[in-house]
This record gives sequence, C-alpha cells and structure tokens, in this order.
Amino acid sequence: MLKIVVPMAASILATEALAQTEIVGNVESKCIIVSETPGVYGNPNPYQLTTNPTNGGVMPIIRYDVLAADYYKAVIEYPVSFSSSPTLDDVVTWSGDVNVSEVSDTLMSDYDTNKVEYDNAHEYEMTIAGSTWFKISSTADYGYAKSFPAGQYTAVVEAECIPI
Amino acid sequence: MYSNLIKTIILLCVSGSAMAHELTPTYPKLEPTYVKGVLSTKLIMWIARVDVEHYKIEVTNAVWNDVPFITDEKIVRLGYQERREIEIFLPEDTTAQYICTRSLLEKGKRSRSIISSKVCSKIK
Repeated sequence: MLKIVVPMAASILATEALAQTEIVGNVESKCIIVSETPGVYGNPNPYQLTTNPTNGGVMPIIRYDVLAADYYKAVIEYPVSFSSSPTLDDVVTWSGDVNVSEVSDTLMSDYDTNKVEYDNAHEYEMTIAGSTWFKISSTADYGYAKSFPAGQYTAVVEAECIPI
Repeated sequence: MYSNLIKTIILLCVSGSAMAHELTPTYPKLEPTYVKGVLSTKLIMWIARVDVEHYKIEVTNAVWNDVPFITDEKIVRLGYQERREIEIFLPEDTTAQYICTRSLLEKGKRSRSIISSKVCSKIK
C-alpha cells in the first residue's frame, strides 16, 4: 500500500504551481503636454516684468508629444493678465510671443510658418508625430513707465491640446 | 569611450523633470446605459505634474460652450503619476463634442510664471 501512496504523494508535492499574469497595454493616438520649464519674470526696470533671458527672466518651455500625426492641434496662449498680484491702479500693457524652439523631426520646421495667430493665442496643427518644444515670451509694462508695487506677480500660460 | 558613456548617463540623470498631462482615448464613443435616454463614455487621465493636484473636467459643444453632464467629481484630485478613470454621462440629445481636463492652479505658489494645461478628447 505504501508503495503506491508514497509515490502518489511525492508526485503531488512535486507538481509545480503555474500562474500567468498578463500585462496589457494599448498604443493609441494621444497628446501629452509636458511643462518642462515654468518660467520666471525678470524685473530689468521698475515698470517692466519680462521673461527675456537678457533681462534676468526665464522663458517657459512646453513640450507637446503627439503619437499620431494630423490628430491634434496645439493652442498656446501667452499671458494677458496677472493671476495674482498686488493691487494695481493703472493699466498693464501685455505683449508676448510663442515660437517653436526645438523639434524631434525636421519636418516640423514649418510649424511656425503655418501657425494661426489670434488675440494672444497661437495655434499649431500637429501634422507630424513626435515631440515639439515651444518657447513662450511674455512682457508686462505698467502704466507709462510707472513702478510696479512690490510683491509677487504670477501669470499663467495656457497650453491646450485639441483633437481635430 | 567610457568617459563619453559616463557623461551621457550624467546628462540623462540631470535632465529636467518632465511634468505631463494626458487624456485617452482621443475619440471616445458614447454608449447607451441601462437608464433610458442616457449615454456614457469612459476616459483615462494620467498625470505626471508635481506642481498641480486638481483638475477640472469640462464638456463643451463645437463652439466651446459648456453643456450639462454628470460625473462622479467635476474637480478631480490626482497626484503625481496617478491614473484615474472618469465616466461621463450625457443625455441622448446632447450637443457635446469635446471632453477636456484642465489643470487648476493654486494661488500663492512660489513660481512667478505657471503653465496651465488642458487636454481634450473629441466625441465620435
């Protein structure tokens, strides 16, 4: 009896447990907005805040990663108001620009030529898959050469990715 | 050769951190629910932004006007590298065309210039 039971028990103990776990992933068209550099305003004059690097500022840089061509458009708006600031009793004059600073595919070099501008918005059709870096410049002038009150000033760059 | 390899590794390590915002699928489909006259769709948000914790869900028509919709939370709290599935319920006669998630920036942050990101999906 033992001659039968012992081998049977050994075979049960020897059987290895086998389990399979799946890893699932989807590759699909998508647009990812990456904020690479937040940007800083320099204060070269008492009446001016600017992201110009020669004046102590840092230009914000945004990267768009697009996995499929001709699916998206990028809309980037430079600031036209402060989101937070000390009380201001005069007009602030805003100016700015958005430009392509780097691309992962040389075919994207036409983006700046083909972009559409309206108000403070710059609209780019992402016709090539890959990564595109955009640099935003922003300048705020207070009144007529009037000094900005002391305090913290914050402005927001709006970056949107919209399917076509 | 090894010095170049080490320099490349160091350069990759000190590269700026990426702060990303993603919404998929790009073209979600509206499907009927068990409630008559109500359609729904599901999207996945993935966030890799350390500077933002809250996101607002917006549903708009073709001319970017808000349309009524129902979801669990219209303002979602998502941390760094978190993923969340959101379900949107719409009436059958909806004019909704875009479902977007927009980052909400907190007042009083130290950075002087902040980037607000908005990623949209278009309803098929």
